[in-house]
Amino acid sequence: MDRRNFLKFSSASVAATMAGTAGLLSWTPRAHAATINKTYYITEGFIAQPDGVDVYFRGFSNNTNSLAVPGEHMIVQEGDSVNITIVNTLNSSHNFTIDGYTDDNGDPVDTGRIRGGRSATMSFTAANPGTYMYHDSRNAPYNRLVGLHGGFAVMPAGRDDEIFPGSPRFVQQHFWIFNDIDPVWNNAIRNGNTPNTAYSPRYFTINGLSGRPPGAPGNGDPAIDAMHDPRSALHGHIGDRTLLRVLNAGQCQSSVHTHANHMEWLTDNGAVRDDVWLKDCIYLEGNMGKFDAIFPFESPPDAWPRVSVGTYPMHLHTEMSQTAGGGLYMFGSLTDIFFE
Amino acid sequence: MGRRRSSSSEETTTTETTTTTTSGSMDGGGGGGGGGGMGGACYMYPDAPATPGRVTPDVIYDRGIDMNIPLTMDDGNTVNMWGFSDTGGGGGGIDGMGGMGGGGMGAGGATFPSAAMRMNQGQIVHTNLNVGMMWLHTIHHHGIEPADHADGVGHITWDVNGTYTYQWRPMHAGTYFYHCHTNTVLHAEMGMYGALIVDPPSGPGTLFEGGPSYDVEAIWAVDEIDSSWHTLNWSAGTCGGDVGLNELNPDYFVITGVDGSGDSAMDLPPISATVARGQKLLARYICAGYHPQRIRFGGLTGTIHSSDGRPLPNPVQVTEIRACSAERYDIIFEPTQTGTYLVETDVIHWVTGQVLGTTRTSITVV
Repeated sequence: MDRRNFLKFSSASVAATMAGTAGLLSWTPRAHAATINKTYYITEGFIAQPDGVDVYFRGFSNNTNSLAVPGEHMIVQEGDSVNITIVNTLNSSHNFTIDGYTDDNGDPVDTGRIRGGRSATMSFTAANPGTYMYHDSRNAPYNRLVGLHGGFAVMPAGRDDEIFPGSPRFVQQHFWIFNDIDPVWNNAIRNGNTPNTAYSPRYFTINGLSGRPPGAPGNGDPAIDAMHDPRSALHGHIGDRTLLRVLNAGQCQSSVHTHANHMEWLTDNGAVRDDVWLKDCIYLEGNMGKFDAIFPFESPPDAWPRVSVGTYPMHLHTEMSQTAGGGLYMFGSLTDIFFE
Repeated sequence: MGRRRSSSSEETTTTETTTTTTSGSMDGGGGGGGGGGMGGACYMYPDAPATPGRVTPDVIYDRGIDMNIPLTMDDGNTVNMWGFSDTGGGGGGIDGMGGMGGGGMGAGGATFPSAAMRMNQGQIVHTNLNVGMMWLHTIHHHGIEPADHADGVGHITWDVNGTYTYQWRPMHAGTYFYHCHTNTVLHAEMGMYGALIVDPPSGPGTLFEGGPSYDVEAIWAVDEIDSSWHTLNWSAGTCGGDVGLNELNPDYFVITGVDGSGDSAMDLPPISATVARGQKLLARYICAGYHPQRIRFGGLTGTIHSSDGRPLPNPVQVTEIRACSAERYDIIFEPTQTGTYLVETDVIHWVTGQVLGTTRTSITVV
């Protein structure tokens, strides 16, 4: 397929695409296994960054006329029959694989090479509860960095409040997928070249969006502002324990810092930790590092007088990631935590 | 115009104030600042409201602003740091952090790092921040989890002009630090931080209630400095424009305010420590920079008893620790062999993994 005229997307259209097709994200527990069918379309286009610069991306999108970075999250249940079809609308070759994941036969999930204009379908039975990143592993890490990635999770059979059997419990869950973006690299990939410059990220996102502080254009718009994106922002009352499935599509090693509560640190790069540590900063490795944690939504312990409502940030403490285009503090990878 | 986020409290009336914002467009980059004023600052909200639910505190810390703290490095060069001055004449702080050795005393009386805060668990604390007319700043007590109006996050609450009192009550003993949270990427790198130590109700000498005791204390706050950032204006980049804050390329590496690349911190308590066999040394390690770090104990084995102000369910024995920005680890050493042990901390580039520099101090066992 020849697409000389690239699609141009605002952050708004990207997020609207996500919000409008949130069926898989809004997973609800089921007593029995189900058949899950999902089609992703590999598309490309430009997304405007906080400083107004249009940057080239590719994504696993929900239709041919949209660009989703990251792709829509998938949450399935152990035992589900999962059918994933990838339609490659571009001229370049791509694949779809789920990092570190094996199905009930112990086999990895990977389409192999999908040439331009071709499609591929994978079918497998979900196993191995946990948090994973799906991505295009060809031309690594470039295709992943340019946007071809998303979150995939398997819930344990018969359980709606545990990440693995016997884990600490939660009542709601979110993916936090971080990315860092060097527009020079993205442009090289657009032109079919291998980046040959030192990696210098200039934009930093959570679930594809950057922050917009009060007073900034787009502040409060859930389709533009990462601080109000319902995929990222946490909303809860006291006791609404929230599972955070944290994935790093980018290159930068980061420090994930929550205000208001320490996190219960459950897993580290896919391994269940021996003990649950309470942390206000958790190390997130670059290049597909990941962890799971629970934000407990407890009354902030050090408040006097005591409080049960309020608004606090989550941000990366690797503070370079809180900028856009070399400045614009608080236009980076952060979101808000609403005690309601 | 910007709308400030409101704050709230269960037991008090929310303080709503009207302020002049400095928010503005970023059109054109670099100049922007449609709201004008404050030297081109954007998306900041100067204010100094009354403190909700204010009560008489057990402990008070008074902090001012010092934007001119010359820090002399081992190579003879001087780098300008910013910090919080202790305008209360002590206020209960101890040791630990506070510009030892490196020549880091500013004209405004501040040191690098800023003076420590130290109190007992359960005490009600007032941190009084006084900011002059020239700048905007806040204090965020990192790891302390108070009401949002005491959390000190600029831009989304307010940025202090005048005097604001942060009221809080620490409920978990351990190692924390406080730092400015206005244009944080720049202000914290410029040195606007200090140690914050919460002792158990019994006071110093025990790490936390029911936890291990200790005889000697050391504090290792390891940080990197990119001197090219140290000529920037306090509001640099906030209105847009590329001022390079996405790239931290450090050329100096400090431990608790002292150039750590050579021997300056090798024999300088309470960075270095001397401990007798049979005694316990508590090292409070703060990853105060932005890049990841790896700290090694020169062959000694330590036991991590708590991290980020929370006890570990089971203490862990280590000979080195990998840490990310703003993590803290409390490590107890019970050495049995005399000798001098080199404590080295590598600062590691967040993308490449390259070791950018290393700080050095020592533990001497007699």
